[in-house]
Amino acid sequence: MAAPPRHSSMMATNAGAPQSGANDRQQVTQQSLTPQPTQGLRVPSNRKTIYDRHLNRSRNAESSRASFAYLFGEMVTYAQRRVTGIQDLEKRLNEQGYPLGLRLLDLLFYRSTSTSSSALSSSSTSSSPPNRPLRIITLLHLIHGPLWRLLFQRSADALEHSVSPDTPNEYMITDNDPLVNTYISVPREMSMLNCAAFVAGIIEGVCDGCGFEAKVSAHNQPTEMWPSRTVFLVRFGDSVMEREKVLERNGVK
Amino acid sequence: MLHTQAVFSLIIINKAGGLIYQREFQAGLRKLSTNDYLVLAGTFHGVHAITRSITPKIPLAPTTNSPAASPGTSTPAASSYSYPNPGASVSGLDYLESDKFRLTCFQTLTGTKFLLFTDPMTGNVETIINKIYDLYADYVMKNPFYQLEMPVRCEAFDRHLGAWLRGRT
Amino acid sequence: MSTTKASRIGEEIWKTRIDKVNAELVTLTYGTIVAQLCQDYDSDYKQVNQQLDKMGYNIGLRLIEDFLAKSGVGRCANFRDTADMIAKVGFKIFLNVAPTVTNWASDNNQFSLIFDENPLADFVELPDDGRAQDELWFSNILCGVLRGALEMVQMQIEAHFVSDVLRGDDTTEMRVSLVRYIEDEMPPEEE
Repeated sequence: MAAPPRHSSMMATNAGAPQSGANDRQQVTQQSLTPQPTQGLRVPSNRKTIYDRHLNRSRNAESSRASFAYLFGEMVTYAQRRVTGIQDLEKRLNEQGYPLGLRLLDLLFYRSTSTSSSALSSSSTSSSPPNRPLRIITLLHLIHGPLWRLLFQRSADALEHSVSPDTPNEYMITDNDPLVNTYISVPREMSMLNCAAFVAGIIEGVCDGCGFEAKVSAHNQPTEMWPSRTVFLVRFGDSVMEREKVLERNGVK
Repeated sequence: MLHTQAVFSLIIINKAGGLIYQREFQAGLRKLSTNDYLVLAGTFHGVHAITRSITPKIPLAPTTNSPAASPGTSTPAASSYSYPNPGASVSGLDYLESDKFRLTCFQTLTGTKFLLFTDPMTGNVETIINKIYDLYADYVMKNPFYQLEMPVRCEAFDRHLGAWLRGRT
Repeated sequence: MSTTKASRIGEEIWKTRIDKVNAELVTLTYGTIVAQLCQDYDSDYKQVNQQLDKMGYNIGLRLIEDFLAKSGVGRCANFRDTADMIAKVGFKIFLNVAPTVTNWASDNNQFSLIFDENPLADFVELPDDGRAQDELWFSNILCGVLRGALEMVQMQIEAHFVSDVLRGDDTTEMRVSLVRYIEDEMPPEEE
């Protein structure tokens, strides 16, 4: 759909990951990889196509928060009609965010190579071009900073590592006031629901796209000052943790 | 100061005359029963409609056929009268006042009514109502869990409305 | 009200009263919705168009309140004013674009909106499956938005796209027709 073929091949590298939506995702992949007659697309004579426009032209463009809210609201309403419960709804919202994460990853890397002073390049070993993150911490900083700024025009509010020795693979990213939930009041009978599961899906897409198999979920952690404070719990898979140990031993940053 | 700025309570009535929101902002107000609020909403809705329909028209020089006239609606007799300001909609009852309180009604172009009970001395009631409409458009209408025309149960609306009214005094 | 005046109102509201987000967030979110529908409806694009229109309608029913609250404008005197209000105020304050109003029918009940910019379709290329360019109206949600929003202010309209640069056309054009003013809430000058 909105994805050029290279995105589909990226999905293919992740389709084997043991995660909830893997089936759906695999279907998408197969669908778009099915050989099509290459008759090609028609293009306008004035060549108003995506190839003729600079990828950064919309970088600083603004739209209304309202438009996002209405679209996101419809996404939630639509998802609600096809699910059985809160968990199912969150799963579906997560799946909607996932492909977005995959795509944003490319955009993030593209933008960070084309501007020398970006925050991303400072967090990687060489100044330019920045490599994809190899270590968990670099990846999480990429999410907490550049990804959040691209989506929400500010960094996330906190990044923490689980203090429990039983769960060294768990990390928490906190947003005190998630933009996606600005106008949403969840009914009392659904109080466990957090629609930022959509954002959790985006994070999951970014992690997977970078080769860090992970599950990400959104949790309500309200405080008096921040009633819609949300914690994104990132749980990396065993393979990631093992690789992390090897990289640690070899001194890879 | 606080007294003259007092906003006592707010009622929102849907297009059909049903009460969809009611909240008091001052402690110690005499409360009505839920049923009385429903009656108040329905009665006001009806009276409002009647006052709308009795709005007098003024004679008008015959106009050339207006664009976009829907078929079969304008008779020659009716078209020679018009409301004083054809651009503005006919509003119906705008406020009721006693010596202790004032009820101001704001009806949106979509037919929803906001009824605000204030102290008769409270100034800038229009500004207050516009802000309430703004908050309603944000925290009620943009909430996917809110079903149109149904009672408003939106925690974020309550919270922002309360905070704004408190900060105003 | 003149087109210039409407433009000025739209600009002013956009600058002073609108909370902004990165336009790409809106674009990508919309793209996700369309992609999901194409998947759910197994690339039956006619159904996708319908579903998009329906979603837009639901949005329109709600969005009109924000439009009225933010703009503070009163009822339009005629359909030509309505067209300017949609193009220069509505589209401006919600999507930060201002399509051109043109191609009026002689009875003043039908016009076209020409979109030089369409933020919903930035980054988009339709699937190269030999059908999408003939069947899918990618931005169809906008038709539903207009239908829903205007219905709430007592206008029944019909809206559909007649061309789209994503389909290889040179312009993106939406046709909007007034069906009728809804009876029980007639605008005063029509009574």
